[in-house]
Amino acid sequence: MRDILSARFLARTGLLAILALYTFYSAGPFLWIASMSLRTTSEISANAYALPETLHWEKYIEAWTGSNYGAYFWNSTIVVVSAVLALTIIGAMAAHCLARYRFPGNRVVLFVIFSTLIFPPQITIISLFQSLVEYQLYDTLLGLTLVYIAIQLPLTVYILEGFFARIPQDLYDAAKVDGYSHWEIFWKITMPVGMPAIATTVILNFINLWNEFLYAVVLITDESNRTLPLGVQKFMGDQLEDIGMISTGLMIAIVPVIVVYAFFSEKLIQGMTAGAVK
Amino acid sequence: MAVVTLERISKRYPGGDELAVDDVTFTVSDGEFMVLLGPSGCGKSTTLRMVAGLEAVSSGTLAIDGVVMNNVPAKDRDIAMVFQSYALYPHMTAKDNMAFGLKRRRMPTAERERRVAEVAEMLDLTPYLGRKPHALSGGQRQRVALGRAIVRDPKVFLFDEPLSNLDAALRVSTRNELIKLHQRLGATMIYVTHDQVEAMTMGTRICIMNKGRLVQVGPPLEVYRDPADTFVARFLGNPPMNLLEAAMLDGPAVHVGESTMPLPPRINPSRLPRAGGRITFGIRPEDLYEHPPADITGRTAPLPVRVTSVEPLGAETLLLVVPDSTEQEIVARVDRNSTARPGDRVVLGLDTSAAHLFDSDSGVTLDRH
Repeated sequence: MRDILSARFLARTGLLAILALYTFYSAGPFLWIASMSLRTTSEISANAYALPETLHWEKYIEAWTGSNYGAYFWNSTIVVVSAVLALTIIGAMAAHCLARYRFPGNRVVLFVIFSTLIFPPQITIISLFQSLVEYQLYDTLLGLTLVYIAIQLPLTVYILEGFFARIPQDLYDAAKVDGYSHWEIFWKITMPVGMPAIATTVILNFINLWNEFLYAVVLITDESNRTLPLGVQKFMGDQLEDIGMISTGLMIAIVPVIVVYAFFSEKLIQGMTAGAVK
Repeated sequence: MAVVTLERISKRYPGGDELAVDDVTFTVSDGEFMVLLGPSGCGKSTTLRMVAGLEAVSSGTLAIDGVVMNNVPAKDRDIAMVFQSYALYPHMTAKDNMAFGLKRRRMPTAERERRVAEVAEMLDLTPYLGRKPHALSGGQRQRVALGRAIVRDPKVFLFDEPLSNLDAALRVSTRNELIKLHQRLGATMIYVTHDQVEAMTMGTRICIMNKGRLVQVGPPLEVYRDPADTFVARFLGNPPMNLLEAAMLDGPAVHVGESTMPLPPRINPSRLPRAGGRITFGIRPEDLYEHPPADITGRTAPLPVRVTSVEPLGAETLLLVVPDSTEQEIVARVDRNSTARPGDRVVLGLDTSAAHLFDSDSGVTLDRH
């Protein structure tokens, strides 16, 4: 009995050690940036790993007001929230069609959508630039939003299609017999039952687009249209990198991601289909 | 209240070579409980789904109350369906599940609440109305699915093997509840099952299907007593009807094993093969007697057999026997006090009036119909 207990204790300790190491590995850089965001660049230069001696909260105010961060934040919010909203609705509708309706070429359409994932963004960026200039969408938030929708749509459709296809057909048949149209069934059955998958794509798209840099740096030039990742870049000069302000800027940028994750992760974890059938 | 008519209905799935449902014709009368019975893949569920409007009809005419429904969407047919998997909406409470169809019909909230409460009361679901499906037991989920159909007060109820996910005891009690429900509502119901006990006990009539085709329609006991072919004879009854290869004799009579028997009285002589021809002889296990009772001794024929196995079931005993001069094992349902042992040679009494003859090639009955 004692042997079993000590074996269990050892296993627990081992597991805890691994988890602690992994937590340190993933949370360490975040905590480091968080501590640097409250220190000045000269303090950081003196000792990069030291904890803050005085908490320089005023750096946040300085970043927000002095470095036009409020505008970047607002631009990022407009672009990313509209793109994620459009992605969720368009992606879910496309995935619903591909998962639920049998029509010729169904799998071909899915394959074509999914195959665009293999192209690295550098391949398409020149032609995208040309197209946006042509349509007078270059250096506009609308243009960037449309590009964001286009680049994230394949993965969104792919994730949602896989989940929607596993929703039991009987639920759809029951709703049809209950008198609902295809349109109503999409909103009243697919969307709520598919919420765990939708939450996954919302988190994924939000994080990817909130942090997106390459398309933003190529397609946006005007100061007033810049998004947050471009704003952080402003602190990187040719000669000097203001590490302290970069950290503060990054911390401001991270907050919405944490809020979105905290809100949707619960939905993500909920096993909403439990008890649907059988 | 409705009459459902299927006329020469067929279903071919895209890319499928064979017909899933082949030229099926039957009518379900107003207030009737029609059971579609058959083995897996016989087309019974597909037929039901065509009635529901969940599958398109490839050819033929489907009508409810005389109105052709072939191209009417499921939502406009005024039918309710209970699924094998219950198909409860997982994100809604039991109450919302039941009210979902009523909401679509823009029923006033007060009326909707009253109907749901009334049906919940009828099905003993009142304490569970606030729960979501995952917090309900299998039997409760089944009743919510049933309630969802009842509140709608539809023209036709459709059931697709609704009891097959329940355990044995619950299945029996729910079966009885369904029978009472049909008596109370008096509604037209079509019920799909592969369970012959459900079919026999619940159906006003049974419609037996095999390989997409309709084989026989009739009241349960009629179908049991006068099977249209060897498939029905074997499918209904547990143990199933014994089928033995036999030869026609002049007289006319049939030769089975070592025994010669007169023809059963209801045989149609014009359909019999000539003397010497092969024929399939059918007898139900309960029509073989170890000690024939006095009232039927006049119409029994002796069948000498060797006992291979004895299965005492308490209320009765099953004897597995091989008739002399044959290789085929058959079953006799005899008295529970039987003393027969494996290896014994006994002479069973065969009730010739209960015997059936079938064409040995097509399997079709040769009884007079």
